[in-house]
Amino acid sequence: MLIMKNVSKVYQTEMVQTHALRDFDLEVKEGEFIAVTGPSGSGKTTFLNIAGMLEPYTSGEYMLDDVNVGKLSDNQRADLRNQKIGFIFQGFNLIPDLNLYENVEVPLRYRGIKAAERKKRIESCLEQVGLGSRAKHLPQQLSGGQQQRVAIARALAGEPRFLLADEPTGNLDSLMARQVMELLEQINRDGATIVMVTHDPELARRAPRNIQIVDGQVADLTLYQGVAGQTDRQVVGG
Amino acid sequence: MLEIKPIINALRRSKVGAILLLIQIAITTAIVSNAAFIIQDRMTYLQQETGYPEQDIFSITVMTYGKDRDLSQQFEEDEALLRNLPGVVDAALSNAVPLSGSGSASGMGLKPAPEPGRNVRAGYLFGDAHMLNTLGVELREGRNFAPDEVIVTQDPGKVPNVAIASSTFVEEAYPDGDGLGKLMYMGDKPFKIIGIVDKMKGPWLKDDRPDNVVIFPYIKAETYQHIIIRTEPGQRAAVMQAVEDKLLAAYDKRVFTNVITLDENKRQYNASDTLMLRMLMVLIVVLVAITALGIFGLTLFNISKRTRQIGTRRALGARKSDIIRYFLVENTLICSGGLMIGCTAAVFMGQQLLQRFSLPALELQYVAGTAIMVLVMTLVAVIFPARRAAQISPSVATRSI
Repeated sequence: MLIMKNVSKVYQTEMVQTHALRDFDLEVKEGEFIAVTGPSGSGKTTFLNIAGMLEPYTSGEYMLDDVNVGKLSDNQRADLRNQKIGFIFQGFNLIPDLNLYENVEVPLRYRGIKAAERKKRIESCLEQVGLGSRAKHLPQQLSGGQQQRVAIARALAGEPRFLLADEPTGNLDSLMARQVMELLEQINRDGATIVMVTHDPELARRAPRNIQIVDGQVADLTLYQGVAGQTDRQVVGG
Repeated sequence: MLEIKPIINALRRSKVGAILLLIQIAITTAIVSNAAFIIQDRMTYLQQETGYPEQDIFSITVMTYGKDRDLSQQFEEDEALLRNLPGVVDAALSNAVPLSGSGSASGMGLKPAPEPGRNVRAGYLFGDAHMLNTLGVELREGRNFAPDEVIVTQDPGKVPNVAIASSTFVEEAYPDGDGLGKLMYMGDKPFKIIGIVDKMKGPWLKDDRPDNVVIFPYIKAETYQHIIIRTEPGQRAAVMQAVEDKLLAAYDKRVFTNVITLDENKRQYNASDTLMLRMLMVLIVVLVAITALGIFGLTLFNISKRTRQIGTRRALGARKSDIIRYFLVENTLICSGGLMIGCTAAVFMGQQLLQRFSLPALELQYVAGTAIMVLVMTLVAVIFPARRAAQISPSVATRSI
């Protein structure tokens, strides 16, 4: 479903050249749930941005559902993001002036889905995250965990095949983090492919597959596998 | 996909900036439409046809202090001298200069006083048979004064018995169209209308009847006189320079003041209108510029405030054009609200100006024109910030700001 081959990302300023990703290789198969970990500044967010087509890469090849992302125009990337990818951000990124219903509606409007169909999907997704009765509330009237659930509902509403989560529990306390994680696991069981960037080893261990990024490359996780003590997990090295 | 409903909902929840902008647009629309109408009205007034070849006419004021000459004779000699000067078409003495803001007017009765009857207001000029040619106006009907009809006198008891009137005056006084040959009265003194002039203006353009003018064949031989002179095209400046010396050479116990062209006379009379016109134009430019800058600034502020939101929208699938459209629609919605209030206020303000300052009634096309202009201006003001917003990278959504 997602294949990155030798993907590199270089940030160039007048004085400095920073290699955020170096010859990055990764294949994600349909239905997987992958946790991406790594120290701060290792390139996790850059990987997520490139995977989500939020920024271009410098070299290499990235195929998403057999589409060569590097050859797409800005509009085509926007459309592909809208149709195939659901985003869950660390800071929730809900639009404060829109109520929950309208927030979940945003990606559906960009896809041009008719109002009746939008309504059906929004109500269903808000029900799924347990906030069906609060559709008219504004984000600031909700707790952090609830806001993240709205963000998940927004990501799900477009029925994406691929969910990208950037530290989805980073701003939540442990109880709420667990609830959000359980929700993500449920979504994965329902068929969605999930790639989750996290710095929390405990959360990462709950994902069936872990990769660690160090210095812009996928690191060897043999050592990590031993620490996790879960031999049934598939560990992928660079 | 215009997102009108969510934009309206978002504006309702975060309304302070939008309301301030809406008020600014409303005030701009109300003031600019009235100012534009007043400007147009004044422009029409200032550019109106007077019926005179203004560029070829000038006047001079004579104050005679010498007592050793018969003024009646002197004035006739002066006129003859002026008419023979090279470059002069014609010249005539008069009690007043048209368009100058100084002269005489009276109600011309259709019946002799004290009989009750209708009076029609008209400005009046004294002059001889050369007056029409000097002013460059033509008779539509009837004839010019005959030499024996012109009274040159110092005796206030001697008055003429004929007059030439402007067509506007005749049409008002005799709506049936049979004014030529009719009698009109100043007090109980009758004057027969022997000629009708197509178009001419009296001393005051701002008079409520500026086109009502009557000329009497009469020269009051007084020490204070105006002489009106028409020159060949392009000769006026040269004649103006020479005329004083020539007249002084003929008789030097007098002073000449106020050698002034007819267009300059009119300009001075209209100076306050011209000033008002310019001030209104500056007001319009300043108001429109302030509103445009307000919209520009507010949109830029909104963009910097919503950077993360714009990045998130891009991440969720918005194209750059969607982001530009969002700001254009948001601006159009605010602007439409402002225009609705502004147009209503413009009409109300127009009514107040009509009632309090006797200005003409505001024509609705000025309100509509201003509204379109303000809408276009706001769209132009918002397009640059909106394009800038569209350049925000979707990766902003994952950054910790």
